Amino acid sequence: MAIAVSKEAGGVRSRQSAYRLRDYTNWMFLVPATFFFVGWQIYPILRVFALSFTDYKYLETAPPNFVGLQNYVDAFSDPIFHTGLLRAFQFTVMFVPLTILLPLLLAALIDRVESPRLAFFYRLVLLIPAVIPGPLIFVLWKWLYDFQMGPINTILIEWFGLFTRQTAPQWLGGTPLSLPAVVIMEVWWGLGYHTVFFLAGLAAIPKDLPEQARIDGANEWQLFWRVTVPRLMPILSVLVVLRFGTAMSVIDEFLIFGGFQRTSPTYTWTVYMYDLAFKIGYWLQGYASAIGWLGALAMMVFVVGMLYIFRSRD
Amino acid sequence: METNDRTVPPTETSQTPITRRQLLRLFALGATASAGSALLAACGGGTPATPAATSAPAPAATTAPAQGTASRPLTPSFYQWIVDLHPSIPQVNSTFAGLNFQIAPVEGFGIERFVAEGKNKESTWDVYVGMTPFVEMSQLIKADVIEPWDNYIPKDVIDDLIPSIRAECTVDGKLYSWPFLLDVIGMSWNSSLTEKAGISAIPTTWDEYLASAQKVIDSGAAPYGATYDARGWRSIAPFTHSMSSNVYTSEGLFDFTSDAAVEALQLMKKIKDIANPDILNEGTTDGGVNNTPDEGAFAAQQVAYYTKYFNAPLRFAQTGGFSDKLQMAGLPKFANGEGSTVFWTTGSCLFKYGQNKDKAAEYVRTLTYNQQIWQDSIAGSATAHPGQLPPYKSLYAGWDSNKPDWMQPFVSLVRTQLDRARGITNHPFGLTQFIIGKPFWEEFLTGKEADPKAALQKAKDAVAAEIKKAG
Repeated sequence: MAIAVSKEAGGVRSRQSAYRLRDYTNWMFLVPATFFFVGWQIYPILRVFALSFTDYKYLETAPPNFVGLQNYVDAFSDPIFHTGLLRAFQFTVMFVPLTILLPLLLAALIDRVESPRLAFFYRLVLLIPAVIPGPLIFVLWKWLYDFQMGPINTILIEWFGLFTRQTAPQWLGGTPLSLPAVVIMEVWWGLGYHTVFFLAGLAAIPKDLPEQARIDGANEWQLFWRVTVPRLMPILSVLVVLRFGTAMSVIDEFLIFGGFQRTSPTYTWTVYMYDLAFKIGYWLQGYASAIGWLGALAMMVFVVGMLYIFRSRD
Repeated sequence: METNDRTVPPTETSQTPITRRQLLRLFALGATASAGSALLAACGGGTPATPAATSAPAPAATTAPAQGTASRPLTPSFYQWIVDLHPSIPQVNSTFAGLNFQIAPVEGFGIERFVAEGKNKESTWDVYVGMTPFVEMSQLIKADVIEPWDNYIPKDVIDDLIPSIRAECTVDGKLYSWPFLLDVIGMSWNSSLTEKAGISAIPTTWDEYLASAQKVIDSGAAPYGATYDARGWRSIAPFTHSMSSNVYTSEGLFDFTSDAAVEALQLMKKIKDIANPDILNEGTTDGGVNNTPDEGAFAAQQVAYYTKYFNAPLRFAQTGGFSDKLQMAGLPKFANGEGSTVFWTTGSCLFKYGQNKDKAAEYVRTLTYNQQIWQDSIAGSATAHPGQLPPYKSLYAGWDSNKPDWMQPFVSLVRTQLDRARGITNHPFGLTQFIIGKPFWEEFLTGKEADPKAALQKAKDAVAAEIKKAG
């Protein structure tokens, strides 16, 4: 009996060890992804975090010194950083509502188109900007906004007579209109892409739901706000959080349309961080890292707040 | 049974082919080990590693490779604009067998790739053609990325450099930039507009310049009289030099609060009042320093008078189709001024951890003395008309003694201006001091600050604050 039990226990152990071995083998499949995740995501984040506690200057050949929280203290009292955060927030406040509400409205309208061909045509037209490469978009809008020969100013001056050549709006180049100009371009660029998200969400709403609501006496407005929007809330929350993050951290467009002029509304905290790290003087990368972390933390506070607002209430 | 199956004699194991599972385990072990070592290496390193050169060998421990160890062909790297404006460069390249010609990754004047490689004591390239002394030379020296040319440049070439240019390229008595393309800030005008306005005299003072520009507007010849590029090294610095070029502090910074700078700022405001309204806007390429509003206004024949380095009006008159109507002259001066201006050269630097250094010197010599390049630059080619000039006395002397049929009048004009011009002093903040200060002196131009000296003091303070931040 004892021998039988012992044999049985040995067999179980052997099977367990085989399973464990198989489990270890399964881990191997995670190695490539882990390698890239650690090398391309975790390591840079940790490295920047470590740098933020040093006086690291990229052009200096001497090793950096540990300065504790000094960079963070300096950043808290740096007016350029404060202004930069405020400008990024102003851009976000203009950009996020437009980039969410316009596609939502468009999706609701396209969803009602009964002709499949027409609906396909609308989807196709809306998606065109989304498939144009970024550099082409920037060249196109730079030309559209050009003060002297751009079509927008030409239309405003020659068609509508709203301005003269001297008083025409200066859309780009660090003027107060620079931020709204970039917002318009960004909203246009992402319109089709975001509309497709909402169309996918609308397709998942059971068709009998609005019909039942209509039978219950709901008008179209009530239908939209009380039936459609709550069903789209998961998509809405994902888009709001994603777009908030990207809007607060925009840099390419600001560099292209506003350069490094510090009074430009496009000189946000991200441009300042880049300027410090790669342009000015000895390239203060330790300080720039602290700015980056503080900016990221400020964004995270808002993101957590938004995740709370959009939390599931089911 | 199970036990027997698993008890395989060692000899048999060694003869059995490796199973798929074993292979995968080995692979996993190897990959984990490499990832771990890579991570450890990265954590221990001073800076992130940059991609190694495709053909570069592993560099020696801490010193630059010796001349005899070159294991790759000569590898020069050019800023893209130089290749675009000078179509005869391939002709020079063809005389160097096996040359590995490359375009430099320096969009927006960014030198981060060079510095990153220098920190790893390596360089993909041997020489970089595109460095402007006051822009990035001090930074490259500070980062120990480049070395002086003195050990490689022939003495006859050194002696042939125009003295002011040689001074511009020298730091602590060492020549770090081998100059190539000379730019001088001067005045130009569209004569079809000035003729329409009934102007025949060439303005030589700023008062005459402003009066002529106003006449262009009053006559209806063009909507705007004059324009400039608002970036400080292209406007406030040369305008200040036209009053006095002795405006640099002992540390090598531009003295924003000097009397000459105050005069220059007041002049800028007067010109702004008769200029294209977007004159202060940033440009749209290279971090806002190129594709500037003045270029568009001049090319579109919206403005008659223009002050900038000469290759700008040459290029944009070509764009606007009025090259035959383009006139150029030296920068006007203040009634009691020195009459100087600003010049700079774009040249070559030698990478400390590059190879083929003697060969690089031979290449740059051939490049900078090539007659076809200078003919294309001065007379224009099918693709461009940069109007940039050489840095050598002998070339001008040769053209003086035996004038080529393609020679243009502006060459002697620029050469004359050069004797009065001065380069911006080299400093790690040589260029950025003007970017940092610009918003503050512009407060006077836009009317936000009534006192020009107060606006310039703010600019000076802002630059000082940045330098203090840099430690």
